[in-house]
Amino acid sequence: MSASRQDAIVVEGLARAYGGLRAVDGVDLTVAEGEIYGFLGPNGAGKSTTVRILTTLLRPTAGRALVAGHDVEREAAAVRRVIGVALQEAALDPLMTGRELLQLQGALHGLRRGAARERGEALLDRVALQDAADRRLGTYSGGMRRRLDLAMALVHEPRVLFLDEPTTGLDPSSRATLWDEVRRLNDDGTTVFLTTQYLEEAEQLADRVGIIDQGRIVAEGTPDELKARVGDPVLHVDLIDPADAERAAGALAAHGAIRRRGDCGVLVQSALGARAIAPIVRTLDEAGVEVDAVELETPTLDDVFLAVTGHAATAEDAPA
Amino acid sequence: MSSAALERDPAVQARVVTALAGRGLRIQMRRAQFLIPAFLLPLVLLAVIASGTSAAQNLRGFPDTGAYIGFVVAGTLIQGALLGGITAGISTAADIEGGFFDRLLAAPVHRVSLVLGRVGGTAVLGALQACVFLAVAFAFGARYEGGVVGVAEAVLLASLAAAAAAGLAAAIALRTGSLQLLQNLFPFVFVLLFTAPAFFPRALLQPELQAVADVNPLTFVVEGIRAALHDDPALGDPLTGLLAAAGLAIGATALAVWAMRARMRST
Repeated sequence: MSASRQDAIVVEGLARAYGGLRAVDGVDLTVAEGEIYGFLGPNGAGKSTTVRILTTLLRPTAGRALVAGHDVEREAAAVRRVIGVALQEAALDPLMTGRELLQLQGALHGLRRGAARERGEALLDRVALQDAADRRLGTYSGGMRRRLDLAMALVHEPRVLFLDEPTTGLDPSSRATLWDEVRRLNDDGTTVFLTTQYLEEAEQLADRVGIIDQGRIVAEGTPDELKARVGDPVLHVDLIDPADAERAAGALAAHGAIRRRGDCGVLVQSALGARAIAPIVRTLDEAGVEVDAVELETPTLDDVFLAVTGHAATAEDAPA
Repeated sequence: MSSAALERDPAVQARVVTALAGRGLRIQMRRAQFLIPAFLLPLVLLAVIASGTSAAQNLRGFPDTGAYIGFVVAGTLIQGALLGGITAGISTAADIEGGFFDRLLAAPVHRVSLVLGRVGGTAVLGALQACVFLAVAFAFGARYEGGVVGVAEAVLLASLAAAAAAGLAAAIALRTGSLQLLQNLFPFVFVLLFTAPAFFPRALLQPELQAVADVNPLTFVVEGIRAALHDDPALGDPLTGLLAAAGLAIGATALAVWAMRARMRST
């Protein structure tokens, strides 16, 4: 197995069994440097086990994985130096303050006291926790704990950041704040491997998405590629006069598959998606058909998940 | 510096051990459930024994250490060290159960440093406990003829005993990951104390108990503390105590390192 210069993570045939149960069952994936890779799956799909192997916390029972060019088994120390890890549940000691934990994390990564303090202050500013820095973690909200967890993972400016369900259990506002920070990190060049059970999160953040179910990757691609597998987007064209429906359907036949909806609706399924809107409106205008509204409906990752696994993704708060 | 070099660099690992020891100490001092066994319980027992069994001092053959509390405080130092060590093991098990341990393992830290950080923090705690107990006993009439040197020797022995207990408790935590098992070890501290001459001279114990005390390594530590505090070779030998305490600390730490390696192999 070899990693190209651009590959931050290369995984081949990765498996982990617990007795007879194969939690991860032959996972293959590649994450390019600078990419956000969304690892999507329901509870118990094998997401966290995969992350634990990639972060050297667990040995695989088969297969191999390279992170930043280092083998996770044979070069575990080298892997640990270049990764940042924010595991599920933000395991932070409630009796320590945010500032103390950041300085401890700095020391764990070999920073001298002064450098650890300086880096800690910069990160507290970055995640907007400066005001709460001297409060014990027991008084932090879930969102604050997650932000501190993220800051701790960034102390040594890692090349590859692993975020294991970083927003599970957070309110929408805290979730959006964390998403913004992940985007900023990625803009700075950090590769992000993000596990999530939230379809929306994968769609919002990930350049590419791998869907894992029962230990196996069942689909992989960009969100758009995955959605395209389910079917082309559908344009809902609402007409003002029901009498025009027949004429509109005939005129729009050249733009895609046509279906009628109600008295005034025509559905056009087109691979062009949003780009089909202007030509459709022009065609109807030329045909003398008055349009009330045009709405684009694209398949969601929910549809993809259902199509590839045969069951809906669940978004419970329990850890995978 | 490469990551492998980082894990082997003594200066870096010394910083890691210091930071982890500091964290361990902070947790010990901030958690009431740790402060009670580490500080309050030994002081309560010291008060009970010093006031309730002081008539023992009148027994023939009981050594002269001035106030009775001056004799039994050596046992209090060992009791505090053992209880402090167990709370260190409980902290380790809590880190494992709570997931903080994974954070430590995911960092480029030598695994031995993780053990040394915990043991080192507890050794400092043991020294702090010893200073507090000796000061309280002094306030209630104990006098230390060994002077500053004797007190320093006693503090060192207590610190090593705490390190030994922490190493043993950490080894159990690392092998089992069980918080509950560690909590159940508290009563065994009292068995160890009473099978060492912690509160009573070895020469006055029943023959059966004396036979056990003769082979209990803590006997030499507690007698060494007593001899150092009172500058009296008849009470024990500080050097033998030091060798016993250091041997226990090194052995228990080695056991914890082995447990850590075994844990790493099994993941």
